[in-house]
Order: sequence, then structure tokens, then C-alpha cells
Amino acid sequence: MTPTPVPTPTPASATGLPVDALDALLRSMADDEFVIGFSDSEWTGIAPILEEDIAMSSLSQDELGHAAALYGLLAELLGGDADADALAYDREPDQYRHARLLDHGRGDWAMTIARRYLYETADAVRLAALTGGSWAPLTGLVGKMVREERYHAMHIGAWLERLAAARGEPRDRLETALAAVAPDAATVFAALEGEADLVQAGILAAPMAELAERWQAAISPTLSRLGLRIPSSTAASASRGRTDHGEPFAWLWSEFTMVRRSDPGAAW
Amino acid sequence: MSTLEPWDVFRQEKDGDPMRHGGSVMAPDAELAVHYARELFGRRQESVRLWVVRRADVLDLDDPDLLQPPLDRSFKKPGGYVMRDKLAAARRASGQPKPRARPG
Repeated sequence: MTPTPVPTPTPASATGLPVDALDALLRSMADDEFVIGFSDSEWTGIAPILEEDIAMSSLSQDELGHAAALYGLLAELLGGDADADALAYDREPDQYRHARLLDHGRGDWAMTIARRYLYETADAVRLAALTGGSWAPLTGLVGKMVREERYHAMHIGAWLERLAAARGEPRDRLETALAAVAPDAATVFAALEGEADLVQAGILAAPMAELAERWQAAISPTLSRLGLRIPSSTAASASRGRTDHGEPFAWLWSEFTMVRRSDPGAAW
Repeated sequence: MSTLEPWDVFRQEKDGDPMRHGGSVMAPDAELAVHYARELFGRRQESVRLWVVRRADVLDLDDPDLLQPPLDRSFKKPGGYVMRDKLAAARRASGQPKPRARPG
């Protein structure tokens, strides 16, 4: 994968940036992209058909590329010896801040499609709220991510429509998957510590709770046309929206850190 | 998934290049065929344009009576017809010099 070049940010201390809140934002976005990218890459070699196998693997690589760029931006914001790889791989499982929606494992194909549809649509609303923000390093990166996410939205929309339109088992499995993830669907918009500072600084267009409502309004026409369940715009466990990831993530973490942990400190 | 069928993908590497056959993908419909063509022939930014054509829509001509007739057709090929001496004679007659090779 070609890493997305990361714009060089102005030193945080010099500009009065809300560094802690930006840290929370970048960490949440990077962890989301990293976890869904790694999790969906598990389809490599076993997707329904060869073409879809390549497509899903390529989409997953795109998400890992976005994560790499976001971790890189976070490392530059933090300065010192912060490092993108260390941020991605050297934290304990309880230090990751991805949305609990992504703690539902890839499951069957319908679960992967349901989870990815809810995440991609939420991510699109989040990216829209960052477009044109006041911190140029982030808006530059967001502009590039939006161009790739456009294709992701087309791909996942096509699959949602097909599973919903297929009578019998595909539709049943899709409904089961949507019901399973529904309580956590809105966790992408769990409140971030200091998010008011981001809104105040013009970095984020609106508080997360408002973005959650925009997201629900954006997906409702499609889901109701297909006769599918519309998830709530508030998560069932909002206070744990990005924490307390539990056993499925502990397993995923052990997988994606395995090589790194095999030889700590090695130069790869 | 509904029945898969082959789609042929033509790709252009850069603006102005001809469209060349890149290969084919299997897909159940036009929308996914375009997605898969994009992933197989465009995800590394190796194409600036793709044409995706349903194989069933291609007019296929492989009839040997039409393409490989049994009689000698060598007189239709330019190989046995030497132009050089005739061109030289025509230039002498017209007084025109031999054009120089185009630059580049």
C-alpha cells in the first residue's frame, strides 16, 4: 500500500490548538479505520467469489492506509518520540478508542456488510463535519479520504441492496446482523472528551450527538425503502461507546500485534 | 448471489492511449462488474479509464469461411509488392526530394 503523505502540522504548542481534544478525535478515527480495516481483511482468501475477495481486501487496505495517515498526524501533533507504528501496535487492548460497533466480529458475510454499511455511512457524516475545518493538516487529509470513501460507499450500498432484495437466507441473515449491531450502531458518535473545544475552534462542525442525528437522517430513506431496521441515533451504552472492548477485541488485538510482539523494538 | 457471468474490461493507461483489453471479471450485474473492474484493473492507479462490456453483448465472429478462407489470398497482402523503385521513379519524374523523417 502506498502511504498517504501526511501534511506537516504547525507545532501544536505555538497555535493554541485544543491538543487534548484533537488527540481524542484523531485517536478515535484512526482506531476505527485500523480496526475495521484489519477485521475486514480477514476475508482475504475466503470471500464469496474471487472478485469480491480482491475488492474487500483492497477496501481494507484503504482503511489501513487512512489509519496510517491519521496515526502519523497524531504522532506529529503529540511530538516528542510519538510514532505511528507505536500508536497502532504498542497499546494495551483497553487503550484503543474505536467504536464498540466494530467490536462485533466480522461474523458471516451479512454481518460484515451490516457492520460496514453502518460504519461507512457514519464515517461519511463525520468526515463531512471535518471538511473545511480550521486545522489545515486535518482538512487536507480528510479531503483525500473523502475521495476514497466515495467508492467504499458505492460498494457497500450495492451489497446492502442485494442482500436485502434476495429473499430467504441472505435477507434473514442481514436482518439478524442488523439487529445484533443496532444497540452499538451509534457508538461511532460517542461523545469525545473536549469535543466542545473542537467545535469552538472550528475544527469540527457540530457536536457528536448532532452528527448522530444527521447520520440517522441520512440512512433512514434507504433502510426504510428496503424495509430494514433503522438503528437508534443514541447508543444503548453511550458511556462505554469507545471503551471496554471485551473478549472479541482482545482476540483481534492478539492477532494484529502478534508479529510486532514477537520481537519488541525490532526495526522492520 | 444471482448467476455470475463474464464481463470484459478494456483499460486506458493514460490520456490519448488506445483502449486495450485488460482481462475479464465475473459479476452478477453491471453495477458489481464496474466495482470489480475498478478493483482488478484500477486500484493501483494504473488506469485513467475503463470500459466494461458484458461478454454476451460482444458480437463474436470466428467463422473460418469468413476469416480464414481456403484459397490463396497472398495477393491481398502487401508483402510481395515492392514500392521502392516505383516511388524513386515517381520522385525523379516530379523533381521532389525524398521527405525527411519526421522529428521525434
